Amino acid sequence: MDGPATPSKNSDGASKFLVDLPSKGLFSSSVISSNLGGMRVYITDHDTTPPENQLIKTDQVNILIRSLLLKQQQKAGTSSKTAKGVGTNESSRKRAPERSADGRASAKRAAGTTQNGSRQDVLKSQIPENLQSLTVERLRALLKERGLSLKGKKDELIARLRATTGSASSSAAKPL
Amino acid sequence: MSTYNYVVTAHKPTNVTHSCVGNFTGPQELNLIIAKCTRIEIHLLTPQGLQPMLDVPIYGRIATLELFRPHGETQDLLFIATERYKFCVLQWDAEANEVITRAMGDVSDRIGRPTDNGQIGIIDPDCRLIGLHLYDGLFKVIPFDNKGQLKEAFNIRLEELQVLDIKFLYGCPKPTIVVLYQDNKDARHVKTYEVSLKDKDFVEGPWSQNNLDNGADLLIPVPPPFCGVLIIGEETIVYCSASAFKAIPIRPSITRAYGRVDADGSRYLLGDHSGLLHLLVIAHEKEKVTGLKIELLGETSIASTISYLDNAFVYVGSSYGDSQLVKLNLQPDTKGSYVEVLERYVNLGPIVDFCVVDLERQGQGQVVTCSGAYKDGSLRIVRNGIGINEQASVELQGIKGMWSLRSATDDIYDTFLVVSFISETRILAMNLEDELEETEIEGFCSQVQTLFCHDAIHNQLVQVTSSSVRLVSSSSGELRNEWHAPSDYSINVATANATQVLLATRGGHLVYLEIGDGVLEEKKHAELKYDISCLDINPIGDNPNYSNLAAVGMWTDISVKIFSLPDLNLITEEQLGGEIIPRSVLLCAFEGIPYLLCALGDGHLLNFLLNTSTGELTDRKKVSLGTQPITLRTFSSKSTTHVFAASDRPTVIYSSNKKLLYSNVNLKEVSHMCPFNSAAFPDSLAIAKEGELTIGTIDDIQKLHIRSIPLGEHARRICHQEQSRTFAICSLKYNQSSTEDAEMHFIRLLDDQTFDFISTYSLDQFEYGCSILNCSFSDDNNAYYCVGTAYVMPEENEPTKGRILVFMVEDGKLQLVAEKETKGAVYSLNAFNGKLLAAINQKIQLYKWMLRDDGTRELQSECGHHGHILALYVQTRGDFIVVGDLMKSISLLIYKHEEGAIEERARDYNANWMSAVEILDDDIYLGAENNFNLFTVRKNSEGATDEERGRLEVVGEYHLGEFVNRFQHGSLVMRLPDSDVGKIPTIIFGTVNGVIGVIASLPQDQYVFMERLQTNLRKVIKGVGGLSHEQWRSFYSEKKTVDSRNFLDGDLIESFLDLGRSRMEEIAKSMSVSVEELMKRVEELTRLH
Repeated sequence: MDGPATPSKNSDGASKFLVDLPSKGLFSSSVISSNLGGMRVYITDHDTTPPENQLIKTDQVNILIRSLLLKQQQKAGTSSKTAKGVGTNESSRKRAPERSADGRASAKRAAGTTQNGSRQDVLKSQIPENLQSLTVERLRALLKERGLSLKGKKDELIARLRATTGSASSSAAKPL
Repeated sequence: MSTYNYVVTAHKPTNVTHSCVGNFTGPQELNLIIAKCTRIEIHLLTPQGLQPMLDVPIYGRIATLELFRPHGETQDLLFIATERYKFCVLQWDAEANEVITRAMGDVSDRIGRPTDNGQIGIIDPDCRLIGLHLYDGLFKVIPFDNKGQLKEAFNIRLEELQVLDIKFLYGCPKPTIVVLYQDNKDARHVKTYEVSLKDKDFVEGPWSQNNLDNGADLLIPVPPPFCGVLIIGEETIVYCSASAFKAIPIRPSITRAYGRVDADGSRYLLGDHSGLLHLLVIAHEKEKVTGLKIELLGETSIASTISYLDNAFVYVGSSYGDSQLVKLNLQPDTKGSYVEVLERYVNLGPIVDFCVVDLERQGQGQVVTCSGAYKDGSLRIVRNGIGINEQASVELQGIKGMWSLRSATDDIYDTFLVVSFISETRILAMNLEDELEETEIEGFCSQVQTLFCHDAIHNQLVQVTSSSVRLVSSSSGELRNEWHAPSDYSINVATANATQVLLATRGGHLVYLEIGDGVLEEKKHAELKYDISCLDINPIGDNPNYSNLAAVGMWTDISVKIFSLPDLNLITEEQLGGEIIPRSVLLCAFEGIPYLLCALGDGHLLNFLLNTSTGELTDRKKVSLGTQPITLRTFSSKSTTHVFAASDRPTVIYSSNKKLLYSNVNLKEVSHMCPFNSAAFPDSLAIAKEGELTIGTIDDIQKLHIRSIPLGEHARRICHQEQSRTFAICSLKYNQSSTEDAEMHFIRLLDDQTFDFISTYSLDQFEYGCSILNCSFSDDNNAYYCVGTAYVMPEENEPTKGRILVFMVEDGKLQLVAEKETKGAVYSLNAFNGKLLAAINQKIQLYKWMLRDDGTRELQSECGHHGHILALYVQTRGDFIVVGDLMKSISLLIYKHEEGAIEERARDYNANWMSAVEILDDDIYLGAENNFNLFTVRKNSEGATDEERGRLEVVGEYHLGEFVNRFQHGSLVMRLPDSDVGKIPTIIFGTVNGVIGVIASLPQDQYVFMERLQTNLRKVIKGVGGLSHEQWRSFYSEKKTVDSRNFLDGDLIESFLDLGRSRMEEIAKSMSVSVEELMKRVEELTRLH
């Protein structure tokens, strides 16, 4: 077991493997300096939000449903020969189940899940018309996704939501 | 302390977790990029070595770091993923010198169990996609489009649940991953999958390999022409591809890191758990792999990452010891090692324990940490102060004084350095080779001690000896005039400036002379009651060559007198009080405010505000700088005046915001100092210390200085004992050579000055040192070291047996005085009401220190309290006991004297897994938990019901992003009673990444102000990669995420000072205060660390 790994006692064990180490001319000076200036602490005061379409999100469609949909599409794609049409269809079809998945998720939450879900789907939820009929938890979830305070009684929560309905969509679109 | 806390980093993380090499800052520039948990460092590779460029804070704990180059790009992009499921792609903008965000996103999933073996982030070598393995059973794909832009991410189900490593294979027509996993029978296999971007699914890959080495946990993809993958196990290394399978046995080891040497992937460097560096070679013939070879190269720190740089230079990043720059030599050295360590980069991590001591007893804490692990374990002494960068030094014994002189009045540089000894005076000067050489000034008397020297107007020099004042031409060196002291009246002390000389002779005579062109004129003479101990006529008025005031310190009546010049009238007299004579007085002005400084023979310094017209002294303040007589001297650095106080604890006195501040100089003992601004050593100081004359420059800011004491073993607990001037540590040594049980545990005693082991007590087999305490007991004046241990048996889940050992230090030896067996591990020990409080598994137990009939002592159990999962961390204050539980957060117990019982008073009902606790004040307790959060809880003594009183209310929450192992009350800076900052209580913490941080409790108004500043700064200082500061600092655990409250991020607030002026103004405007006011208030906070 020890055989090949133990360093060979007769000196040039590794020497023959250490020849021709790659070099691009760096570290070539005979004196390697240990002090080539200090480290500058980087302070970012420019905008660091990524370019518009480069805020990456995860496709939230259930993996099983997605694969079924893809299969369906491929079938449709092979039957209809216009590949271009599939391309456009693809996007619109993908959206639809996505929304339905969201709907389910929010329904589930309303049914009593208190855990904070992922943000992506929450961002899309609209403020329903009839706020009074919602539970406090659901209201809080709506407030949270809009970055508002979660404190107060139900009426206060509703008032706060109503007050910001106008600006809600823009704040929700902000990058995380 | 209070609920309002300010958290700031005093020492940044130094644990290197990742590193990579690539062309990040330019197509022609090769960079080394290092990740230190929450920061990345960018270095440039140059022919001369590594050139540091940028230190970039990241709002997240870096989980993966990769450089990659999409098609069509000329330089590499940097991919960073954080532990809180954010990722970003960064690009260097060479024109603006900025890091710009190419893409960022959130890759968290709503459902999913985080992986046990850490997050994996990999990039396809052909840049078709980024792969992430963050949750068991899921593989996330972020595809690239053909322009190198990222598209929407999606998950793929991964059948293998216990994944150890995933890598992309090179040279595959479709992106292909290779997965190393463990099945439910604990056997390990690899499998390949092609990622089909169209179907968003895996397709079975070209090959797989079952039943590998049971310790296999690392994959190395091999680039073309060979392709395939290397599977690194504990006993074998396998090369595997669709067409080939080669294996070699290796000496049992756990490989921690690898670095590819050649672009074709034929050689790799492997670093193992014991710090051995191996070279793995793929032997090949005509692009076909014929076998593997492995060679031991030598030893480095235990590597967490290895990057081959260039020309045989390798960067070894370490989590357990110092990171290193090493060179691979073609020929082995005498010990057979091919590795030459050229540079060590200090790493304090992991800080397992530390203590704050004041070894020099001067009100400034030093932190002594237990740093490093395994063979790289060490103690580090961290202290704050100003450093001297030594430029040159010569051995010279017995220096009694030093002055620098110029060769002409209008010369900008000093030429001569006059060094005075007890019976001679030597003159040093720079020669043409920029060496310091002994020379002569003809008119100077060199056979006697010089009392004072100074440049004078009209190109003259003044030398004062005990018998005369000599005026010498600085160009020719000839003696132009001499004033003789009357016989029997030898000169004791003297001072001078460019136009005036003031001297004092025996018998209390004060003589005032003025300097003309070749003339020394005695202007005035006065006789005082007592002898004079010190003098100063440093000009602080408008005329830089002439002083209107003279300060005189007196023997016998212990006073300072101010005389007016030239008439030598006494205008002020200040009694100093006490019996210590003034040894040095100095008139000086800081920021335009005149002061009189007066140093006493016992190391104290008095400072007064001086009214230059009336000579009145006001606002007297006293500080202790050392224990020996102090000599005061002014010097300039960066065109501001500072005062150097030479003594056994040299100190620099400076002023900021019209307050006098004191900074330690990191030198042991300085007897004399004088500024020496020569052409070869500009802005330097000449310093006489311990038989040595040193010339050096002074740091312009104070910073932490770290001294390392390598132990070769892993220190886990430390404490200091004042009485015996020793440290005691619990340590363990890994014995790698022997085959049987390899761990040995010790209690070691170290001298607190030399840090040598002076005594050792070996613990039993399987016995671990868990806690250590210096304490004394009621009705016993001796100081004891108490050690708590646990017997860690391989077959037990939790220790069921331990010991408490009580040691006394006698003649530098550890003497076991008493011993008590316990029913579990003694996780914590505290001195408590003259008794010993131990935390033993789930129990808190109080022991009395009893005297037996035969005069020996023993620990006797008094009472206890059950009800914890594991009581790991205990702090006490008065009768209160605060317990940090393994998983039940913080609880508060109280000891009832009358009943002799410990009862629970209140608890925090959250399920926090604790890593450290501390008591801030009677009501507020601080905790750190294992999701890298800090929180404070408050005792609710005013609660209306028992239920309310029994609840510790969470009042503060904050995500520190660091795993805290220990809190200690104390401070790294000198706390002077006259500064505002001195009143702010602070706690120091030490973390796994080597961070030393400070938590300061601010007054509420200051907190509110700083919170506003923080809010404003968040708008101006953006997170690199678009990461949000607010999210980063929000309290985060599996159960909840809530915004931080009652904690401020000092690192963000203090970066205000690094902003450009316009940005500062922008912030000041929105807060409606002046920029100066803001700067002043932030600067004040920077003085906390």
